[in-house]
Amino acid sequence: MDLLGHLRHFRAVAEERHFGRAAERLRIAQPSLSQRIQRLERELGVTLFDRGPRGVALTPAGRLLLDEAEEVLESSARLLAVAADLRTGRAGTLRAAVPPDLGPAALAALLTGFESSSPGTRLDLRELPVAAAVRELAQHTVDVAVVRHPCPAAGLAFGPVLHQPLGVLLAADGPQADRPELAVAELTGRRLVLFPRATAPALYDEMLNTLARHGCTPEAVVDPPGPDVAGALVLTGSAVALVPRTVAPPGTVWRPLTGIPLTWRTSTAWPAGRDGPAVRLFAEAAHRALTEPGGLVPQLPNRPLFPRPAMEFPL
Amino acid sequence: MTSERTKGDRARRDHPGEDAPAPREPAGTRAARARIAAAFAEAGVTGLLHARDLDTGAELALGADTPVSTASVHKLCLLVTLYREAAAGRIDLTRPVDLPATGRTPGRTGLSAMLDAARLSLRDLAYLALAVSDNAAADVLWDEIGLDTVNRTMAELGLTRTIAVHTVRELFAALAEDTGQDSPVDPAVVARLRVLDPAFTNRSTAREMTALLAALWHGDACPGEPGAALRRLLGLQVWPHRLASGFPFDDVRVHGKTGTLPTLRHEVGVVEYPDGGRYALAVFTRAAATSITLPTADAAIGTAARLAVDALRLTSR
Repeated sequence: MDLLGHLRHFRAVAEERHFGRAAERLRIAQPSLSQRIQRLERELGVTLFDRGPRGVALTPAGRLLLDEAEEVLESSARLLAVAADLRTGRAGTLRAAVPPDLGPAALAALLTGFESSSPGTRLDLRELPVAAAVRELAQHTVDVAVVRHPCPAAGLAFGPVLHQPLGVLLAADGPQADRPELAVAELTGRRLVLFPRATAPALYDEMLNTLARHGCTPEAVVDPPGPDVAGALVLTGSAVALVPRTVAPPGTVWRPLTGIPLTWRTSTAWPAGRDGPAVRLFAEAAHRALTEPGGLVPQLPNRPLFPRPAMEFPL
Repeated sequence: MTSERTKGDRARRDHPGEDAPAPREPAGTRAARARIAAAFAEAGVTGLLHARDLDTGAELALGADTPVSTASVHKLCLLVTLYREAAAGRIDLTRPVDLPATGRTPGRTGLSAMLDAARLSLRDLAYLALAVSDNAAADVLWDEIGLDTVNRTMAELGLTRTIAVHTVRELFAALAEDTGQDSPVDPAVVARLRVLDPAFTNRSTAREMTALLAALWHGDACPGEPGAALRRLLGLQVWPHRLASGFPFDDVRVHGKTGTLPTLRHEVGVVEYPDGGRYALAVFTRAAATSITLPTADAAIGTAARLAVDALRLTSR
């Protein structure tokens, strides 16, 4: 029996919940699709579908086997992709992703660093938001990525975490612009510009929580609709922005925050168990590039952790 | 493996999952599922959920057949087994157990946090294990009952994907071994923890947990007085931050058991409305953030549960 073909048909019927629609999608006749599903059920010795007048529903056994079938089909697709890479000579390509806002200096150092440590490998580098990078890592369409935390960890392994310190961007003619550095608490009562919460809710909440921890109660937190509006709000002095060190746009100044209270945590990530030599070389190059020209700092001194009773596990 | 699964599936035959247009899943739940998924995303977690109307059998499922690391939720399986043994006359719940001051499984509540030797009955140990998730009390019971008896009991109830492979102290040993000297909130450390992987540790699914609660509420799991006693204990859990937070209503009763490990926050329980509506809920979450204090993620469990209950109530009452 052509198992892969039968499984593909099984999946189509499960998705369409209807033999007619599935047959149409597969461009085969409905009776022959029905026969193939019956053949598969005989082969497996399990009823996959409850057939009703208005369509079909997976049996519980069918549902479990669908998970397995999808796994088989996915790994066979991966096998074909690897074979295609070998055939076309793309096997020596590393597919990598970096998040926006790493800064050109860090990125340039990463490219030259990887090139010199791994001259034979072609680097296919894309700029991807973290959510997209995590999805592509899971699908194995990206081999290694630089991600920002908090980042969903299921199925991933991470390199060492680096901290990208945040500072404050203010209007150059505003009240606090003449200070070499500012304490977070001094931003109490000001309007703050962050990023749209929906793009990274966990990081957004973590930043607000850290502001509160350091005595800052902003008058309001503005979710900017776009970078231009954010820039305009800062320029007019009606808000200040919390951003990594940057070349301040004209009319604004960037100031560090006293004691590095706020950072964006960054690390490399790859699918767990798939850290081949090219992935490791990329991860090392990324770590070096982010640390030196990138200005990221290694693990800050560990804060004390005081677990609460509801935590249920010991540290 | 295949035959085991098939056997379990027969027991669940009239509870099709979210992949099929389940006959017992009321129309309109698709919108509720979207709202629940949005509530999880909004809180920075990925979540799995199963909700079951205990009287009509109506269901709402979101990834309800995906295996999860159950953490302390597995104490519910332990206690159902203990009370089932009592219902069968094989165990006397009033039997006292001597508890030396040393060698206790660590934790921040109950006997785990207490300093002196004590003597408690099996049912009072059960109270501590449920009400405050006392790890030391739970391990005394795990040692009394044994993993095999608990797993056999779950299989008898048709829950073949609900499996315990270690006691609390063994789970903590694996956690400590993987963490080593590193920070327990370092994402790279959390990513390598085996106790988050259902293939390694105690596991179940959201659907099987509500099936277990249904069996307890219907008197199938622990018939008679022991069943009532165990339902009472589930109503004595002290934590207000997860399932209960979604039902801040004086006239609604919440029973539950939580489970927590780095990035994992779970609760399963039963919510009872004064009009007689009773709903079993299982909510399992995994947060992107590694912080140990994360009230938004805790509250998302309550929010998701109430959205599910509202959807079931809208269609069935």
